[in-house]
Amino acid sequence: MFFYYCDLAWRSIKNTPALSVLMVLAISIGIGITITSLNVYQMMANNPAKERSDVLNAVMLWSQGPDTWTKFNQNITYQDAMGLRNSQVPSRQVASFRTGMAVQSDNKDIEPELESIRVTDSDFFGLFSVPFLFGGAWDKGVDTRASYQVVISEALNLKHFNGANSVGKNFYLNGKPYQIVGVIKDWNPQPKYYDPTNGAFNHAEGIYLPFSLTPIEEFDVWGNTNGWQFEPMGTYQDRLNSEKAWIQFWVELDNPEHKASYQEWLSQYVEKQKSFGRFTADKNPKESVSLMDVQQWLEYSKAVSKDNKILVGLSFLFLAVCLVNILGLMLTKFLKRAPEVGVRRAIGASRGQIFSQYMVEVGVIGLLGGVMGLLWAWAALSILSTHFDMAKSLTQLDLSMWFITPAIAISTAVLAGLYPAWVVCRTNPSIYLKSQ
Amino acid sequence: MLHIKPIISSLLRSKSGPVLLLLQIILSVAIVANASFIIHERIALMQRDSGIAEEEILTFSLYNFDDRIDNAQQNKQDQRILAALPNVQAVTSTNMIPLSDSGWSDVYVDSPDKDIAKQTPNFAFYLGNEQMLDTLGVKLIEGRNFSAEEVIYSLTDAGAQAIISLPLAKAFWGDESPVGKTMYAGDSSIKIIGVVEKLHGAWVDTDNFEYSVIQNVDFGGEGKNKSYMLRAKKEHIPELKEAIVKALHQDNPNRVINQIKTIAEYKASSYRHHELMVAVLTLMVVLLLLITSLGLTGMVMFNIQRRTKQIGTRRALGAKKRDIISYFMVENYLICIVGGVLGGLLAIQLGQQLMKIYSLPMLEWQYPALTLAGLFVVTSLAVVVPATRAANISPATATRSA
Repeated sequence: MFFYYCDLAWRSIKNTPALSVLMVLAISIGIGITITSLNVYQMMANNPAKERSDVLNAVMLWSQGPDTWTKFNQNITYQDAMGLRNSQVPSRQVASFRTGMAVQSDNKDIEPELESIRVTDSDFFGLFSVPFLFGGAWDKGVDTRASYQVVISEALNLKHFNGANSVGKNFYLNGKPYQIVGVIKDWNPQPKYYDPTNGAFNHAEGIYLPFSLTPIEEFDVWGNTNGWQFEPMGTYQDRLNSEKAWIQFWVELDNPEHKASYQEWLSQYVEKQKSFGRFTADKNPKESVSLMDVQQWLEYSKAVSKDNKILVGLSFLFLAVCLVNILGLMLTKFLKRAPEVGVRRAIGASRGQIFSQYMVEVGVIGLLGGVMGLLWAWAALSILSTHFDMAKSLTQLDLSMWFITPAIAISTAVLAGLYPAWVVCRTNPSIYLKSQ
Repeated sequence: MLHIKPIISSLLRSKSGPVLLLLQIILSVAIVANASFIIHERIALMQRDSGIAEEEILTFSLYNFDDRIDNAQQNKQDQRILAALPNVQAVTSTNMIPLSDSGWSDVYVDSPDKDIAKQTPNFAFYLGNEQMLDTLGVKLIEGRNFSAEEVIYSLTDAGAQAIISLPLAKAFWGDESPVGKTMYAGDSSIKIIGVVEKLHGAWVDTDNFEYSVIQNVDFGGEGKNKSYMLRAKKEHIPELKEAIVKALHQDNPNRVINQIKTIAEYKASSYRHHELMVAVLTLMVVLLLLITSLGLTGMVMFNIQRRTKQIGTRRALGAKKRDIISYFMVENYLICIVGGVLGGLLAIQLGQQLMKIYSLPMLEWQYPALTLAGLFVVTSLAVVVPATRAANISPATATRSA
């Protein structure tokens, strides 16, 4: 019966081409716009930590003085990073920041290039589940006794070493040799949640260096440095001793109790700092610390832009207009066929059969609209990425959209078709039989 | 002769069609009004005058990775090389590039005594030499420029001077002239020697976008990583992009030169998200009007077809073609007006929600009003065609059929 209805639907669509094209076009444009904005929204609101979202926590401290900043800074100071690294409570903890240097290898055919670098602790890779291709992180001992070791990305390994295992080889940063200990597989969490202050949709760094080298090598900071009071910054040591916040700090806490005990440890830390004359804001130690899991952190970081939320809202309203539009068109079309329905009813078709026949027809129109809408969305996303320079990761049509789109399209169409189909199946056969 | 009463009673008799039409108009007015309001806001943002010669300023970053390079010496040498390139009008080192979405910001205080000192608003903090004003092409309206001898090489050196933007001067000093006043940042005192009419900062979305300060510091000598700006006529920019890399590498190859861009290019990418919003919303408005008018035409056509008999009867009874057309027009306008009023109310509601959640400015009444006017035009067109066709049917055919 279903296929017979499909056949009938197809015939009816062919009989009124203009009206059908109009309906399909209306649905497809509505769907196209909605899917495009939904897709970008979904990509932005993505939680890349997945099931580890709860155990990963960003640490923020209210180290500023009274009447300065009105909210927690996303970064912490170097002295606090060093202080927090002494804690035994978290399962893993990492301080990190972004820098950059000129990169060379023994392959002299390749011109030196400026690359961005993450300076961090050995636990970075475990904490953020970074997969390795060759080797691994540097030894934990290197986090305290600095050593010139480096982890590089698959892409750099391919470029400089033709993809061969480069562990043990030298890699030159600003002309200085570093020993490669690991090569990570292609890894690019989006949003870049471990450091959204540098653009939440930038690509992950391709080079990782031990944080313990920071005071020795005096790495430049490629990122925000925020100070709430004037401090001279003549030397690198001034930066390390200052109250300027420029380091991201993450900890891994396995369960709520673990989190509570770390929170306790943090308040004690703040209390101690207060006794040294730091943390001068009028806040008790408990309120001076903030632990946010990845989901909370992404919201705090405003990874999803305001514009995008507005667009999603407006595009659903747009879809509603399309829905009303096709509702009107369908009502028009179905009522026009009321005489035909009258005849069919008189021959013995039940109301249910008439109703399902029309719902199938509506569904077919919805499906056609959905397929076309998907094409629109795909075209719109490729325009966004080429013409508007939007991050590639945001303009890929998510796999889920291949299911969501037809689902939305068909249900929108069915929703719009319910009333017209109901009206038409209530047709009283006698009227039409008479008038013919 | 508008015959409003029979039209209303006929509308009320067959509700579903007009109700749908009404609903569509309400939603369209709400969406189009809010979308065009946002479009208008964004275009106004993008059209602000930055106060500088955006297309004539070429900028680039230079990274000396060789430890043997004396950065201070190299900086002076590089500026000489750049100034000697053909067609270059002015060169300066800089700590930040206007409209680039990245840079420094700071505040001054007006007294060395912390307890009574008042803070200026947060401003974009530029460092540059005596050629900075010429490079940027900003207009000095009061005081004077730095002289070459006055340029210092570090923020901590004595003799700091500042040129500030007029909006900042007005925000902090009101009508009083800031020239000659002394400001403070930590232990250093800074003398204000000039005011420029306009100079935008780095972040296009901040409220303090027009508050800027230029200090007389040749910043290029401080570290490995440095930025330069140079001014040249627009037609010389492409050749300079190549000449710069060549000349600097010739002097010392152990460095990376990148981000060679004009400020116009930076501006385009900084405003890109606004441009995108304008493009998407414009597309939405156009498509919405298109779909609404097409849908409307379809429905009106059908309604008129359905009422062919009625039209024929009216014509037979002496109604002119004009009467038939005006009947449908009036019907349409009635729906439009009701829909427009309700839609306008919904638009304002929606606007208030947007304002609350996203701190957008209040929707102005002109937007729903204009949208409604637009809809009047569009729907008139959608009605006129089928109505004229219906009116052309001869009464005889009309009454005979169906």
